[in-house]
Amino acid sequence: MAFTPVLHSEWIKIRTLRSLVGGLCAVLLVTAAISALAGVDSDGADFDALSSVFFGVSFGQIAAIAFGSTAVSSEFQGGALRVSLAAVPHRGRWFAAKAVAVAAPVLAVGLVTGGVCLAVGRAVLGAKADGLTWSEGLRGVVGCGVYLTLMALLAAGLTALLRSGVATLSILIPFLLIVSFVIGDLSGTVADVLPDRAGQVVFDETWDGPLGPWAGLGVTALWSAAALLAGAWSVRRRDA
Amino acid sequence: MTSIDVQDLTKEYGTRRAVDALTFSVRPGRVTGFLGPNGAGKSTTMRLVLGLDRPTSGTATLAGRPYATLTEPLRHVGALLDAQAAHGSRTARDHLRALAASNRIPRGRVDEVLEETGLASVARRRVKTYSLGMRQRLGIAAALLGDPEIVLLDEPSNGLDPEGIIWIRQLLRRLAAEGRTVLVSSHLMNETASFADHLVVLGRGRLLADTPMREFIHARVQPRVRVRTSDPTALKHILAQHGHDAAEHEDGHWTVRHARVDDIGLLASASGVPLLELAAEEGTLEQAYLDLTATETEFTAPSQEA
Repeated sequence: MAFTPVLHSEWIKIRTLRSLVGGLCAVLLVTAAISALAGVDSDGADFDALSSVFFGVSFGQIAAIAFGSTAVSSEFQGGALRVSLAAVPHRGRWFAAKAVAVAAPVLAVGLVTGGVCLAVGRAVLGAKADGLTWSEGLRGVVGCGVYLTLMALLAAGLTALLRSGVATLSILIPFLLIVSFVIGDLSGTVADVLPDRAGQVVFDETWDGPLGPWAGLGVTALWSAAALLAGAWSVRRRDA
Repeated sequence: MTSIDVQDLTKEYGTRRAVDALTFSVRPGRVTGFLGPNGAGKSTTMRLVLGLDRPTSGTATLAGRPYATLTEPLRHVGALLDAQAAHGSRTARDHLRALAASNRIPRGRVDEVLEETGLASVARRRVKTYSLGMRQRLGIAAALLGDPEIVLLDEPSNGLDPEGIIWIRQLLRRLAAEGRTVLVSSHLMNETASFADHLVVLGRGRLLADTPMREFIHARVQPRVRVRTSDPTALKHILAQHGHDAAEHEDGHWTVRHARVDDIGLLASASGVPLLELAAEEGTLEQAYLDLTATETEFTAPSQEA
C-alpha cells in the first residue's frame, strides 16, 4: 500500500474536524496575543528580548498539544480505529501517516506564528528589541515552528499509547503548567532535559544551561520520538 | 473464489475464550446468516477476520489471503462493525471521502454509495445529528464504498425503521445475486430468516451449525398441521385412532405434530369429519434455533419444548 493515499486520507480527517482547525487557529492567536502582552510588560533585570517576543509559546503549546492529542484520540472513539485500520491494515504506515498529518499543519502554523510573534514583538518592544539580530529572530521563528510541532507529536504519541486524549492532556497540561514552572528555574538539574525546558532554550538570547538552542530542540525531538515509538508500538501490538 | 475461510480460530481474552477452535467457510453467491446469542463471539470473529484483533491461534483468510496482506482492502472487503464509528463532528460525506482516499477509490463512489443508502440529502450534515438508523446506513455505505466482493455486516438492521429493514433485506439479496460473499450477523431470528440462504451458528464461541437454512429448519423442527373443525369430538377420535398426536388450542384450532396435510386431509375426508381449515405449519428459524440451543450441553437453559 502506498503512503501518499494514506496521508491524503489522514489529512482529510484533520481538516474536516472543526475542533482541529480551531486548535490550529488557537496556536496562532494564543501565542501571538500572549507574546504581545508580555512585550508590553517587559521590565526587569533579566530581560531577554527574544524570550519576550516568544513568551506566548508557553501557552500556545497547550493548543498544539490539544491538537496533536485530539487528532489521535478521535480514532479511539466508538470504534473509529477499527474503520481506519480496516482501510489501512499496515498499522505502522497508518500511524506514520497520522503523525505526518499532525506535524505538517502544526509546523506551517508554527512558522507563521513565529513570524507574527517576531513582527508584533518588535513593534511592541520598540527600542528594547534593537539588540535582536536577524539570525536570532530567524532562530526564534524556526524554533517556534519546530518546537510546537514536536510538542504536538509528543501529545500524539502519548495519546496513541494511552488510547485517550483526556489521559494525555491530564498528564501533559499539569506537567507543563505546574511541574515545569516550579522546577523549571532550577537550571543545571534534570529540569534542563524536560521536553519543554530543553526546547524553549531556542527562544533565549543567552542561555546558561548545558544545552544550546539546537541541542535543546534535539532533546525535545528525542522525547517526541520516544512518545511516537511507544504510540506506534501500542497501535501495532494491541487489538483494535 | 472469494470465500472467507476460518480455520481453527481461537481468541482468548485473559482466561475467557471468546472464540473457540472455530472452523467454517463463507461462500460467494449467497447470504450467510451469522447467528448466536449476544456474547457468542460473532463480533470477535468478524474482527479477527478483518485482522483487527490478533487470534490466539488459528487463521482467517479472505480469498486465500490474510486481511492484513491485502493491498487497498476496501476494494475487496467491505465491513460494518459499529454504527458509532464515524466521528460525530464530521459530515457523512467527509467521513466517506477520507476512507475512499486511503484506498484510492474514486471520489464519485462516495456520492454513489450515499445515493444508494438513501443518505444523499443529508450527506453534508454532521453525523452527530443522525439517528441510529441513519448511522447504520452510513456504516453500510462505508462497507459498499470499494464495491467489494466480500461484505461483512455486524447487526446491520439495528435501529433501522421498517422501511430500512426491507431495504437491507433487498440489498443483501442483491449483493448475493451479484455473486458476492455476504456474511451478516444477527441475533434476530425472523430477520435473519428473511434474507439468509445459509447459516453459521455460534454458541459460547463454538460452532454449533454450518448448514443451509432450509435444512437447518427441517432437521430440527417437525412439520405440523393446523386443523379446525366443527366437530372436535370426531376429529379427536379419528386422530387418536390413527396414532396422531394432536393438541387443541384455546381458540378452537388443533395442531397435529409429525404430520402432513395430505395425511390429515384424506383421513378427515374418509371419516366424514367436516374441516373448516387445514394448513401446513412451516417450522420457523426461531424454533429450530431454540431447539438447537436447548440440546447443546453448553447451554444450561431449560428446554423450551412445551
